[in-house]
Formats: sequence, structure tokens, C-alpha cells
Amino acid sequence: MPRIASLFFAVLLCLFASVALAALWQSGMRANTPTSSAAEAQVSQASVHSNEAHPVIIRKPSGPPRIELAGTDPQGRTASVACSTCHSIRQANLENKTAATLDEFHQGMAFNHGNITCYACHNPNESDALRLADGSSVAYENVMTLCSQCHSKQAESFAHGAHGGMNGHWDLSRGPQMKNNCIDCHDPHVPKYPKMIVGFKPKDRFNEPSTAEHQQEGTAAHDKH
Amino acid sequence: MTSTDPCNSQQAESKANRSLPIVENFTRRAAVKGGFATLGAAAFVAAISPLRQAAKSTTAVEFMQRHYTELSPEQKANVISRLEAETKEKYGADVTIADDRPIPGTKFVYAINLSVCNGNGKCVEACHKENNHDRSTNQSYIRVIEMPKGTMDMEKGSTTYSGIVPKDDKFYLPVQCQQCDEPPCVDVCPVKATWKEEDGIVVVDYNWCIGCRYCEAACPYHARRFNWKQPEVPAEEINPDQSYLSNRVRPVGVVEKCTYCLHRTRRGKLPACLEACPTGARVFGNILDKNSNIRWILENKRVYILKEELGTKPAFFYYFD
Amino acid sequence: MSSSPVKQTAITSYPKFIGRALWLATEGSFAFYAWMTVLTAVFLVGANAWANQVAGGMITTNMTDHVSWGLYIANFTFCVGLAAGGVMMVIPAYLYDDEEMHKVVIIGEAVAIAAIVMCTLSVVVDLGRPDRFWHLIPGIGKFNWPMSMLTWDVIVLNGYLLINLHVVGYLLYMRYLGRKPNVWWYLPFVFLSIFWAISIHTVTAFLYCGLGGRPFWNSALLAPRFLASAFVSGPAFIILVMRVLRVTTGYAAPTGPARTLIQIIRVAMTINLLMLVSEIFTVLYTGSAHAAPLNYLFFGDHGKNGLVPWIWTAIGMNLVGTALFFTPAALERSHVRILACLLVIVGIWIEKGMGLIVPGFIPSTLHEIVEYSPSLLEWKVVAGIWGLGLIILTLSLKLIVNVFTDRMHTDEPAT
Repeated sequence: MPRIASLFFAVLLCLFASVALAALWQSGMRANTPTSSAAEAQVSQASVHSNEAHPVIIRKPSGPPRIELAGTDPQGRTASVACSTCHSIRQANLENKTAATLDEFHQGMAFNHGNITCYACHNPNESDALRLADGSSVAYENVMTLCSQCHSKQAESFAHGAHGGMNGHWDLSRGPQMKNNCIDCHDPHVPKYPKMIVGFKPKDRFNEPSTAEHQQEGTAAHDKH
Repeated sequence: MTSTDPCNSQQAESKANRSLPIVENFTRRAAVKGGFATLGAAAFVAAISPLRQAAKSTTAVEFMQRHYTELSPEQKANVISRLEAETKEKYGADVTIADDRPIPGTKFVYAINLSVCNGNGKCVEACHKENNHDRSTNQSYIRVIEMPKGTMDMEKGSTTYSGIVPKDDKFYLPVQCQQCDEPPCVDVCPVKATWKEEDGIVVVDYNWCIGCRYCEAACPYHARRFNWKQPEVPAEEINPDQSYLSNRVRPVGVVEKCTYCLHRTRRGKLPACLEACPTGARVFGNILDKNSNIRWILENKRVYILKEELGTKPAFFYYFD
Repeated sequence: MSSSPVKQTAITSYPKFIGRALWLATEGSFAFYAWMTVLTAVFLVGANAWANQVAGGMITTNMTDHVSWGLYIANFTFCVGLAAGGVMMVIPAYLYDDEEMHKVVIIGEAVAIAAIVMCTLSVVVDLGRPDRFWHLIPGIGKFNWPMSMLTWDVIVLNGYLLINLHVVGYLLYMRYLGRKPNVWWYLPFVFLSIFWAISIHTVTAFLYCGLGGRPFWNSALLAPRFLASAFVSGPAFIILVMRVLRVTTGYAAPTGPARTLIQIIRVAMTINLLMLVSEIFTVLYTGSAHAAPLNYLFFGDHGKNGLVPWIWTAIGMNLVGTALFFTPAALERSHVRILACLLVIVGIWIEKGMGLIVPGFIPSTLHEIVEYSPSLLEWKVVAGIWGLGLIILTLSLKLIVNVFTDRMHTDEPAT
């Protein structure tokens, strides 16, 4: 009997080995399949890419800001004026760096954007446009050109979809893609992304109830500016 | 008395007709035994009577339905129209259930910029709404972990944070299905109710899953959810744009998971969680397309994958600026 | 018919054997009927609880997406061990030709049959969709073999059930007919059952330890530990069964087998505790990622300590039980022996159930700590499973005793 016993355990060992082998073989099979399908995919991919019928639409600011006047005329109408209404006749203070020294329409404005002067970006010669570092004028609509002078890393990431929110289609052959521009998310005067409030939490059974459950939608802080 | 087996009483009765030695008062005992066996059987039927109620909600057609991959086009069409009618009946919502198949030449990959994500949870909410999750539990396929800076050890993180984000000295790690290339959940499923499709998405046939939850135990990313009860969604909140393998309202007792919103992405659109992200931390695309965003990120950013040591080969990357 | 002088074939005599077996197995004293009535009642309560679970969804259990297996799978794991433990009578009886063990080995096989039925039921009640059980049947369903360890488990558990039913049924039937069993009809199956018993528990351990995402289970020691603890709980249960048989039916088994089983328990328990210590040391001394579940299990984590009383109870029971088994003088007293057996059975039930399955999920894979304690419904269902298991065990033991005490034999004259 002891002889049979050892034989028996040898059989046992073989069986477990075969289980392990089966598992290995299976994982080998799995490893192979994606590669082959990837190879096929590479071929057909060119055609997918060639018929990119739809554009990537980057949202643009509506134009130069307009200043709302505080009062109304006798008919109760409000009015707004362009920056150039005042600035075309005023001497530009090229040294100014802070909102504290500004008055009239700039009261209460916050500024926290590095150690730069107002006229680093605003155009002293053309108040309804912006100014690039080389002195050339750039329209408010093309503010991203201005931002990209310093934030080239972000601009590069943006160009490759790795910075900034988007909507629409990943596949441009099937539909367009809409992207935010810099100042949709970053206030140019206080560009740090604002804080938010967590609004939605999964309620797991038996987990402590989240304290944030009844708080309001979180974008309040974000949408304000 | 004891055995609830009805054949016991039959045996006893058939035996009573024969004249066997040994047992005294045979007929009387047989009658008593038969009586108790009948009583037991009746009690058993009464005990399991709640099953009848459960059986009412399952039709014979549904019971006999074959595995998704074995359905002919006509059968699929029948199944889908049946499911649409069921949703109308149970939830009062008119929905369209499509059968979105992978786009040839695509392999979906996701990436999240951890330098940018601020843990606001918009993606969690978008997933909840897009995928017709149970309203009472705020179910979602995404969990966001608040992590102290200086570690990638999830043990030090917390998912129950709240209030104003981002907090100083914290970063935020959203986790959802990683659509692994070596998915442990697919390996362990005893009935092949879950599998990986050609575009890399791991899907579940909700009408084939037996609800053993082995996949839930196997997944290292807490990506799978079980329907502990019938999901409750008000008719007006149901997303009518559905797909069989994706966001149709799931039956009770089966496992579900993130499908990279295949009902959107297989039609060329971006996933709901990406569109909802206000910080632009999320990037989605086709890794087989050399010009895709995702390719640029993988080639130019420092990327990190979760639990790399497990060999699951996720199609989900985290990166830093 | 039975008085027919013509020699009966198996086709007529086997159903008659079954009929007689059922008839005699339901004969008994008042105490027997009371016992069976209680078991039936418990079983019915369980059946009702399960029906409610199916009707209302598994929200009626306390399981969550974080702790997605609970009491059912814990009980399943223990029952697999119980079934595998029966083999510890088969090995001495057949591999080492222990004559006395040969006489009682069938008790171990009966325990195995009842335990396997309990295993299967424990898995069935854990399914979210029991109506789709047919998807698991090879041929008509879709069987993910050999990739899924669960399919291996389905095969080995059903195989073990069939093997034991065959061996027990055949030996009893031959004894009933008064014939000598044909060695070729059962010995190969007995040897197969030895291999199979080890495989059922190894495969069940592989079910857990193959999951890389669960560091608490992902240990090479898991399968050996499962076997070691199975070889404690199984023999301890069989000692209890033999004791009950002696008291209730006067069927006095020889003392040799019990002595052998106690020896096996001593060795297996020592190995089990040694492996437990080695695992705890490795994890806690290195303080790796694997430490979190162990910390939670033994000491609690972040103020959550639901499993701490369980595991220390189990460890206390196992240590006291083992100490008793190593005190031969005390063990001579039957109530001490019963106590020792009960201690290690309950201790291992906790250690392999609540102490092994549940902490695998705590903390979760994203390191969230969500605790679990079974709901009343889950306890009812598990009690019902044990009720049915004990009904099956009682009936098969009665059958065995009836046959072996020659109270049940064929009316036909021996040819």
C-alpha cells in the first residue's frame, strides 16, 4: 500500500501541474489576441483619420469688454461704453501693477497674476485690444495668443487635448469637438482655478452619511467671475 | 415527518400494499409517515411562496434568453424591443436601446491629469445620471479618493471628504473601471457573462450574469457594482439614450460596471464624465490613432498606472503636468 | 414479489433497497422524531428567508459592494473543509490498511455527502440570480472552464458528491444483499476520492488566493492552511458523530479510529497554528500592504473593529481546544473530548469564515473601510442550510447503522 500511496501522490502532483499549465496557456492565448487585432486596426486607421470632416471649435471671447454705466437715462435705459471711451484721452501709467491704485470703473477689482503690469497685456495705444510682448496688437477674441506667450507649456498641452475642458466628439469624422479657451476657466486677473464645493457623493449602504449631501451645487464659486 | 421529499410518502404507500415482515402496525405507520411527509411538503411550499412573486417578474422568454454573443440579429432585435417595453412598463419611460458595436480600428484609452483634478465630483454625478443609476444610493461607477500629497498609497486616502476642494496638501484620484488588458474579472466569471471587446471595453451581459459577485471580489479597482435591489429612477430622469451592453436600466441581482459610456463613445462622442469635468483633467481617445490626444499624452507626459504590480495592464493612465 | 424465488436483478432490488432504506431511516424513537422535527423547522425557516431574499433582492442581506461576500461564502468555505476532512478516515483505512478504521470509514463519507450538499446550497443562496443557475451547466450554459476557478470548484464539488454517493451506496447495497463488495467497483473510487478530497479544498483555496487584488488572500499559504484546518474540523466532527451514534443507537464503533483521528487533529492543528503564526509574522513584521486587513482583523482600524471579537474568540477556542487535545488524561473523559471537538469546530468555523472571507474585503481595494455583520436573514438561511445538512446526515447515518447492525437486509435468501 505505501507504494500505491506514493504513486498516488505523484498523480496528484501531475494533476495540479496540468491545472497550472492550462492557466498559463490560457493567459498566453489572451496575450496574443489583442496584438493581432491591434495590427489589423493599424491598417484601417488611416482611412478613419483621413475623413476628418468636423472641426475642433475653440470658443472665443465675444470681444473687447464693455463697461456698464451705473445710472440710467430718463427713459430707464442702461448704457455701456468701450474702454477706449476714457482711455483714448488719458495718459497710460505703464508702471501700474495693482488694482489698488485704480479708481472709477476699476474699483473692487482683484489682481493676482504674477508680478506684471496692466500694460503687459493691455494695449496702451489701443484700449480695445490687447498687446503682445513684441508690442503688436492682438484682438480680445484671440486672447489665447497672448496667454500662450508665457504659458507655452499649457498651450502645448491644450493643443493636444491635455489641458482644458471639452465637449462633443472624440472622433472628428463623426462630429465636431468644442473646447474652452483660457479665460473660460481662468480669470485673466486672478488666474488661479477657483475652489469648488463637493456636491455629489455616492451613499454606500452602511457607510457614514456624507456631510456634503445637502450642500448646494458646487460650481457657485466657479461661475461667479 | 421529517423528510419533505414527496416520494417518501409514495414509497411508503406502495410499500404498504406489500406484506413485509419486521414492522408492526405497518399500515398505520405508513399512513402517519405519509401524512407528515405531505405536511412537510406543504410547509415547504408555503415557506418558499415568496418565490412566486419573484417569478412573476421573469418571463419564460427572458429565462430562456441565450448569451449575447450567441444571439442572431433577429433575436437581438426581439430582446431589445422586449427590454424597451419592459422599461416603459416598469419605469414609464420611452427609451431607445441600441446595440452599439466596436468601431473597427479603435482601442479606447482614458487618462486623467492628477495635477489638475480638484476632486469636485462632477464626473461622479454625470456618471450617475448618464448611466441610469439607482437614485436613492447615488450609485456611480466613479469614486474619487482624496490623497495626501507625497504618497500614492491609497491606504492613506479617503473617499468621504466633503466641503471646499481642493484642500491644501491634498490631491485627488478618481478611480473607475480601468478596462484592463488582462482583466481578472473576466477570468473569474464562471459563465462568461463578462468579456473584453475589440475596442478594449470590458462589458457585462446583464441578462446572462448569475450574480455570484466573483468578479467584484477579483477586481482590484472597486470598479464593479452589484444590483442589491431593483434600481429606482423617476421616469423623467431616465436617460432614454441607451445601449444593451451599457446604460440600459439593469435588472436586480446582476453585476454592472463602467463601459466608458460605450453608448456615446462608440458613436464618436466623448464619455459623460469627461464632458462634465470642469477642470479639463480628463482625456479620452483612440490609442491606435497616431494623432490622438491620448497618444500625445503617453508620449510626452509622465504617466502612472494604478496597481501596476498586479499585471492587469489597465487602459487607464494618470499623469502629471 | 419479494418472496419470488427467482434471483432478483439490481433493477428490481436496488429501488427496493432505497425504499427500505427510506422507510427504516424514518423509524425511530420519540427523541429522533423530535430532533428531525426541529431540523425540519429550522430548514423551513431558512427556506422561507431565502425565498424572501430572492423576492426582495439581496438588499435584505448586509453585504455591500465593498464586502460583496459574507456569511454564505464563509459557511461554504467551512463546509468544503468538513467534506474534505472525511478523507482523513479514508487514508488510514485504505492507504495504511487500518482494519478498525475500515469499519467506520463510511461515517466519514456520509459526513462528506452532507457537507457537500451544504456547500452547494451555500453557493446557490449567494447567487443574485438563482433562476439563471442553468447558465452554469456545461453544454446548455456557458462554462468558463478552465479559466474560472469557480468552474473548477463546481466540477470538483459535484464530482466529490458523486464519488461518495457511489462508494457509500455501493457498499451499503452489497452489505444489504449480503454479498461481498467487488473491489473493482469501489476501490478505484475510494482512491479517487482521496485525491478529490484534497482537490476540493485546494481548488476552493485557489478561488481566493488567485485574486491579486486581495492581498489578504493572495498568499501561497492559503491552500495548505485550508487543508490543515480541514483536517482538524473534519475529524473533530466525525468524533462527535461517532459519539452521538454510540449514545443514540448503541452502535459502538471501535476505539482505535477515534484515537487515530485525535492524533490527526493534534498534528493538523499544530500545523494550522504554525502556518497562522508564520503568516501573521510575515505580514506584520514587514508591515507591507498586506498588513491592513490583518490589522483590521486583529486590532481594528480607524476605530472600526467589528471582527476583533470574532477572531480572538476563534483563536481562544482553537488554543484551548488544541491544549485539550494535547492533554491525554483529560481527553479520556468523554465530555472533555466533546468539548475539545466543539471548540475546534466552532473556532475553525470562525477562522475560515468570518475571519478569512470578510477581512479579504476590509479594507476594500480602494482602502475604504466598510464593515460587515450578517443580517438576521443571512443567519436564518445559514441555519436552514445546516438544518438540511443535518437531516441528510441523520438519515444516512441511520441507514448505515441499520445496514451494519443487520437490521436491514434483503429478504431474499443468500445465493
